[in-house]
Amino acid sequence: MGNNGKKSVDGGGLVIFEDVSQAIQAEKVLRAGGYEVKLIAPPPKYRMGCDLGVVINLVEKAGIERLFKEKDVHYMNILSTTEGAAELISVVKTTDYGRWLMIKAGNMKLAFEKATGVIVNTSGGGCPDIPYLHAEMVDKKLNEAPKPSELGYTLCALMLDRAYEEALTVWNGGN
Amino acid sequence: MLLIAGTIPQKDMPLIAGPVKRQGDMLVADGQEFSRIQGTGAMISAALAATEYMGIEPPYVVVAGDIGKGDGTRLMYRYLTEKIASLQQDVVTLHYCQPFMNLLTLFVKEVEKMDKPPVLIADAGAMYAAKAAGLAEKFDVFTPDPSEIAFLADPAATHPAYIANHLFGSEIEDVPELIAAAYRNKSAAGVMVVKGARDYIARDGSIMATIEEPNVPVLEAIGGTGDTITGLTSAFVFAGVDPVEAGILAAKSNRMGGKMADPTPATKVARIIDVFPAVFKQYLCEWSGICAVSSKGDK
Repeated sequence: MGNNGKKSVDGGGLVIFEDVSQAIQAEKVLRAGGYEVKLIAPPPKYRMGCDLGVVINLVEKAGIERLFKEKDVHYMNILSTTEGAAELISVVKTTDYGRWLMIKAGNMKLAFEKATGVIVNTSGGGCPDIPYLHAEMVDKKLNEAPKPSELGYTLCALMLDRAYEEALTVWNGGN
Repeated sequence: MLLIAGTIPQKDMPLIAGPVKRQGDMLVADGQEFSRIQGTGAMISAALAATEYMGIEPPYVVVAGDIGKGDGTRLMYRYLTEKIASLQQDVVTLHYCQPFMNLLTLFVKEVEKMDKPPVLIADAGAMYAAKAAGLAEKFDVFTPDPSEIAFLADPAATHPAYIANHLFGSEIEDVPELIAAAYRNKSAAGVMVVKGARDYIARDGSIMATIEEPNVPVLEAIGGTGDTITGLTSAFVFAGVDPVEAGILAAKSNRMGGKMADPTPATKVARIIDVFPAVFKQYLCEWSGICAVSSKGDK
């Protein structure tokens, strides 16, 4: 099962979902199955407000549908176009507060103590899982805190996940 | 009445509607306790601090538990859409929620039917939905942060996660152009309170004021310090202050609260909210002429 080749994502196909958490789950399943995929915003006519789609190689559609069925991944449709889709923001910024470091990805920020790796704050965002993630992550070490993409449901959580991953990389590099 | 609607990060919390009060470190409405951490809770706490100080009615809150699945958001919008005409509110502020464009659209349609529609304020998920659904101009006030004003300025973006990389890299000096672009794209509310290292207050495309003192850079790292500006702006508008002036007062109060709390990036927003009464006592009369306080005030 799966696709063991190191293929790049040429695109041409776009899987759309009812919510962001399904898209995040699908991305994980596809990557684990050896598929090269990319998360993007669906074209405007398919958006409901907080959406995420997965770009696939359309030629791999049949295998992907079979994998989704096996892994119980729910999706709305597989489109044969990515026209109008938009890229997720990829810029990450760092602010040094001396004892603490703040990482910003998109609209989300995560601050941690350099010496201990303890997350001291998260800020930004406007979706309901962000205050929830704040409560679950703050005062925990980076390597012990829940991963935002596994606990969250929205694009804000995905951005916080990028900040979290960068913070983890920086902290690991400094220890 | 000042109505504040949003979600609370608690699983299985039912919809709660009623006047809010503070009880220890929690907020209470309709007999139910909820947290005042980052998000709607921080915003309500800031608004409550201001209404208590000014001796006016506390916020009436409509909140529901939602950890990102959208269930509480649906409850909130259903309640608002059904009840908005009968609640007699003067100001409605929408905050953390799933940015469901269809549900916001239904709510706005109900507001438009009203003989005396309330002042509409939005931040967070409600602001995302308003922009994405083309409803921004139906709102009186938006309170975006720097990444959110870039989102409002980008006509193609339907969420801050999708803003163009060159806009994300914008510096503080670029904010006026982003504000202008948001107005050109019809993605701005009548008044914009743009929170950041320098706060900008704009009306109908023109910058009316900038506030940059006191400068407390660590506030950016503290979750909830933007929510407090939205809460304070809402309370001042409810008190009868013009929205531009309300935004200025909110920005000044938030900065001064930050300075007086002497925070680090590890400080929690509750500590800053707790110094607002002292900020109001020392500065509000001087800044605005709002000098009367309630029996709960300590002046």
